[in-house]
Amino acid sequence: MKSIRVEQLKYKYPGSDHFVLDDISFAVEKGEFIGIAGENGAGKTTLCYALSGLVPHFFKGGYGGNVFIGDMEVYTHAMSELTARVGLVFENPFSQMTGAKFTVYDEIAFGLENLGVPRGEMHRRIQECMKQLKIEELGDVNPFSLSGGQLQRVAIASVMAMKPDILILDEPTSQLDPQGAEEVFQVVEQLSAQGVTIIMAEQKIEKLAAYSDRIFLMNQGKLIHKGTPAEIFSRDDLDVYGIAPPVYTSAARSLKFRQDPTANLPVVLEEMPTSGLEKFSLPTRHVEVVDVKTAEIVVSDLCFGYEKDAEIIKGIDLELSGKPLAIIGQNGAGKTTFVKLLKALLKPHKGKITVVGVKTTDTTAAKLAAAIGLIFQNPNDQIFKSKVIDEVMFGPLNIGQSPETAEANALKMLDRVGLASKKYENPYDLSLAERKLIAVASILAMDTKVIIFDEPTIGQDAKGKVKLAAIINELYAQGKLVVCILHDMDFVAETFERTVILGDGRVLFHGETRAAFGQEELLRDAGLEQPHITQLAHRMGYPGILLRKSELH
Amino acid sequence: MKNGTFYVEKASIVHNVDPLSKLLFVFVSVAITYMLSNQPVVSGVLAFTLLLLLLGKVLHNVLPIIGLSLVLIFSIIVVQGFFHPDRSTVWFTIGSVPIYKEGFSYALLLTLRVLNMVCAFGVLILTTKPDDLVQSLIRKGMSPKIGYVLLSVLQILPQMIAATGKITDAQRARGMETEGGLSTRVKSFIPLLTPVVLNSINDTRDRSIALEIRGFNSTSERTFLHETNHFKYGFVIKILLAASLAAVIAWRIFI
Repeated sequence: MKSIRVEQLKYKYPGSDHFVLDDISFAVEKGEFIGIAGENGAGKTTLCYALSGLVPHFFKGGYGGNVFIGDMEVYTHAMSELTARVGLVFENPFSQMTGAKFTVYDEIAFGLENLGVPRGEMHRRIQECMKQLKIEELGDVNPFSLSGGQLQRVAIASVMAMKPDILILDEPTSQLDPQGAEEVFQVVEQLSAQGVTIIMAEQKIEKLAAYSDRIFLMNQGKLIHKGTPAEIFSRDDLDVYGIAPPVYTSAARSLKFRQDPTANLPVVLEEMPTSGLEKFSLPTRHVEVVDVKTAEIVVSDLCFGYEKDAEIIKGIDLELSGKPLAIIGQNGAGKTTFVKLLKALLKPHKGKITVVGVKTTDTTAAKLAAAIGLIFQNPNDQIFKSKVIDEVMFGPLNIGQSPETAEANALKMLDRVGLASKKYENPYDLSLAERKLIAVASILAMDTKVIIFDEPTIGQDAKGKVKLAAIINELYAQGKLVVCILHDMDFVAETFERTVILGDGRVLFHGETRAAFGQEELLRDAGLEQPHITQLAHRMGYPGILLRKSELH
Repeated sequence: MKNGTFYVEKASIVHNVDPLSKLLFVFVSVAITYMLSNQPVVSGVLAFTLLLLLLGKVLHNVLPIIGLSLVLIFSIIVVQGFFHPDRSTVWFTIGSVPIYKEGFSYALLLTLRVLNMVCAFGVLILTTKPDDLVQSLIRKGMSPKIGYVLLSVLQILPQMIAATGKITDAQRARGMETEGGLSTRVKSFIPLLTPVVLNSINDTRDRSIALEIRGFNSTSERTFLHETNHFKYGFVIKILLAASLAAVIAWRIFI
């Protein structure tokens, strides 16, 4: 019997007249690892809901076709029967906590208690999952005080512990540092080897290519192509569907590896040759790089902790101005805390921060708002109006723009992020990626001298990332200081010339991005890894550090 | 409060008492103060409740709540002192407004009762993990759904406070002044209300999905992670509480 069987599935959300899932049919064998690729809005999350029973049991609307989990038809079985077989890990881990439990250990136990798992078995499973996801030391911590990355591990553990036959994961590594993401993929692969069927929607294409048995390519609610990673990513028309192939595949293409045009291209690092770039030299830049003078932030001897005797920031000295700057580092390294201090949302215990000449301790966050803007990591923490346009106009109005200017700025920025058509919608009805972009627009509309992004690439697809990179470059050209926390090393390499590596509340490195990614040992200790293109060039014999696809000629 | 609960993690004898005994204590203690109009007895009950708070090392946590209830208490004193039907002895005057002794004495009784109620709930809420309380009730046969509703009720205030903190951050990050004198704070309070309520409603949707996929509506027999027997003296305490309540009832009937 097939593990999952879907026949002509069609679905539209209540009040909507277009099919989010449009005539989808497939079957999955027990223990298969299926990756779902597609741009935002392709229907990936909704498919995850349909396989776990949330569609049609929780989200009503128009539903047709059949979905079978083993021999159980989803439509005729209640959620409670389905949850024992199918586990779902959400895109946003902040939304996955039940709120019924006050420690991580109890939170993971919640599902097991409901399923009636005996106590001894419960303890065994919880400890095993916590160990696999490296959260053993968080057992007594309240889930609501965890960082995004820690919470994501808890969310995965809480579903894994229920031992479902089928595990569905919707972008489960979006908040994790590179090593953390790799660890999660390895854990999931082990489960698949033990016979658990895996369905994973992911934007990390290189990982998807390396771990999936098959890839489902989705676009506009349709299942375009089911095939092996090599078949899917060798297609010439991927950009039509809004996804970028793995770096290795596009490198193989531009280095003209393919003799036979019908043959598949390599999709993982191991398939690439181990030589060929020994004599490679970086292209000299033709583009005249103009150094723009920007606003300045000076941080000296900065220390901070949320609780006494638990410093999170342990003495940071930094001068920030000029080219856009990426901040990278492990989950829990203090990145978000650091930028909240810059924004004066938190006040230092020791040391000082000067933003555009003003000491943050001499002013309030509100007074600084016209000078420095921060886009929060979790858009749900930032968005509070019930109409998109009101949300984007809130900041501009507060810092003294006239209603007309504020509206004009808001519309311009909504247009810039590509959401002008959604200006009258409720932000809560939009996808995570869209809410993230609304948060971006609402800060850009304030036209501040300094702009800080906290993990802007979370949930963004290839197009979204290109858009963000363009925005960052535009802001710099306008003389603004851009600081950006990131876990996406490829994005850092493509977009930023300067990088700070934070680790355990300290600056481990500050300088050229090319030099940052040359510090292999430091990267390993900081939970990071080199960009995929850098790893590729290294494998092919290039002694230096390659950062951008465009450098490979 | 970031943790979404009023519970204060401390090691104390009160923390070690089982949740149901504490729940019974709240009931008995409030019932006694309302059945008897004897000021010294009611003061005695209040003193005992305060002693429990002290033993539980949470006395200072209850002060802000008492502060809030002072508004209510003040209005009781004014209204009763001024309007009590048995008024005859003028105690003192504020300007030309007489305050009567009988009224004041009644107001004092009401005040003691309100204070005792606040403090008794304080004993329960500050020293008991909400999930422990709810789980004890579920074990006694309460439906898990009602249990979850009760849990949500217990968490409404702390969660609202947490949501308020987040939204305040979001607002001041975008230029709305919330720091400063009283007038600034009051002014910034109104625009907070709608988003806090809307946010809670939206959270409810996320929350119910989170519960669904973790088998909350499962029909199979539930198990419990924690064993019950780590609480001491539960039986003795319940007997003592029941006996005190019975004694007070007897006193009311026979004396």
